[in-house]
Amino acid sequence: MEPAERAQAARDRVPRIDPYGFERPEDFDYAAYEEFFSTYLVILTRRAIKWSKLLKGSSSVQKSMTVKRYIRKGVPLEHRARVWMGVSGAQAQMDRNPGYYHRLLQGERNDSLEEAIRTDMNRTFPDNIKFRKSADPCLQKTLYNVLLAYGHHNQGVGYCQGMNFIAGYLILITKNEEESFWLLDALVGRILPDYYSPAMLGLKMDQEVLGELVRTKLPAVAALMDGHGVLWTLVVSRWFICLFVDILPVETVLRIWDCLFNEGSKIIFRVALTLIKQHQAFILEASSVADICEKFKEITKGSFVMECHTFMQKIFSEPGSLSMTTITRLRESCRAKLLAQG
Amino acid sequence: MSPPLPPWDGFGSGKKTLKSKGASAPAASAIPASNEPRPARPGSARPGPQVPPNGLLQPGRPSLGGGGDFYDVAFKVMLVGDSGVGKTCLLVRFKDGAFLAGTFISTVGIDFRNKVLDVDGMKVKLQIWDTAGQERFRSVTHAYYRDAHALLLLYDVTNKASFDNIQAWLTEIQEYAQHDVVLMLLGNKVDSTQERVVKREDGEKLAKEYGLPFMETSAKTGLNVDLAFTAIAKELKQRSTKAPSEPRFQLHDYVKREGRVPSCCRP
Repeated sequence: MEPAERAQAARDRVPRIDPYGFERPEDFDYAAYEEFFSTYLVILTRRAIKWSKLLKGSSSVQKSMTVKRYIRKGVPLEHRARVWMGVSGAQAQMDRNPGYYHRLLQGERNDSLEEAIRTDMNRTFPDNIKFRKSADPCLQKTLYNVLLAYGHHNQGVGYCQGMNFIAGYLILITKNEEESFWLLDALVGRILPDYYSPAMLGLKMDQEVLGELVRTKLPAVAALMDGHGVLWTLVVSRWFICLFVDILPVETVLRIWDCLFNEGSKIIFRVALTLIKQHQAFILEASSVADICEKFKEITKGSFVMECHTFMQKIFSEPGSLSMTTITRLRESCRAKLLAQG
Repeated sequence: MSPPLPPWDGFGSGKKTLKSKGASAPAASAIPASNEPRPARPGSARPGPQVPPNGLLQPGRPSLGGGGDFYDVAFKVMLVGDSGVGKTCLLVRFKDGAFLAGTFISTVGIDFRNKVLDVDGMKVKLQIWDTAGQERFRSVTHAYYRDAHALLLLYDVTNKASFDNIQAWLTEIQEYAQHDVVLMLLGNKVDSTQERVVKREDGEKLAKEYGLPFMETSAKTGLNVDLAFTAIAKELKQRSTKAPSEPRFQLHDYVKREGRVPSCCRP
């Protein structure tokens, strides 16, 4: 078959809407996706069997070396909510606080919080059929509740743009409002540094940490950034705030989150470093600030990020060693530097 | 209400004149497209990319990143204003002539798009930066005000709070932007006549108070959108290339003369 025919044939076979309700983008490469998926399906099937055996007879998922190895190879969609709930501690929190979520929703009203959340309702996944106003049930209401409850629960954070996308994914995976709330709490309250609080200090800190890691591991890229006076926030703030939602393909994001819930925030650095390292030569072609921005957008597209299984293997090999001790040390020094700057 | 800020320093309000030429930092990016090789940045370790000393845009060089467009001068424009006032929609309307009805997502962080305009026979590239409106993102985005040549400050005529916040935005701009940045106030979403809560006169009054050019816009219908960007481009181009004998471009007058009044507000 000619490439054009092949593309059309793939287009006819692959559904226009993905399993999560997202419409595939205009420029979606159906042929490449189909080719990837035929291999990935084999892996998914194998993993599904392994996971079913692992989880057989146990009600909860506890962290262990086996679980870690399994999670790195991908959690099947049917078990994802349960695994995320287990390894992140969200399940334990939910069990310890029965009725808490519903009490939050009945709490005292907060007009500015409600308004801030409402402003983003129509702007969260308009490309997902389950978030459309016409959808039944419409997930907008669920999303609104989760964000509102979280704003009441963590008043130091309230609502920060970006949390809408994260909560949206949690709802799509758990299909459960209360579980989504506790997973959001696990991420915002425990796993991530203070990315979303009004000063966004944790975000600024981690952007600087990434800069330092790049300086050590990929000095040519660091020199390019320095030479053009590009601040890391310009190219990576969305990576951190949205945890790669709407930046990388859905399946890839979910595979990253599998590890994020289990291993913590250093996974974000692994992903970022892998993206940059893989495309180092391409990035170094940039000759202006605009070029650099453009390249950093480009490197989040294409087959390298679509092929999520290989991508996940790469994030654990490509960046080399990345100990939590190193991350903690860098975080401390970057935070101190930021605080000194005021 | 807190005491009003003084009229915009150095802004071409007609009352105040621009700072002496050459002292104006933003205008420095208006590099003629001679395509002559430029000396590499002194002290730059990398020989490849050539960056003007001020780190601003370099024209006349085809680049994929810049959309592959040729241009004579380039400027950096930023869109600012509260969350949900329509910054992204205004930009997309200008860039692509389309309205994003329910198909766009909240802007998180900062992003930009380029558009090249023909201004009196000269190709002017606007690099337009779109920013997150939520207050906490200001500490992430204001680092970029510094080398903006122009700022479009938006409020939403259907949202009183976004109008009330203009003063806070002006304080922020005064602190972080160039003293002679070109600034324009825009009241967006005037197509929503039913929901309008900020009167045209209120916008005009506020703009006058601060010596800002003002227009009402609609990203939905396109009303005054191209005009706002064209006016900015004209002003910036004139600032950077004007011969001493040429009459000065009067941004205020231009906007007043060319701006269309939404049908609901016509007498």
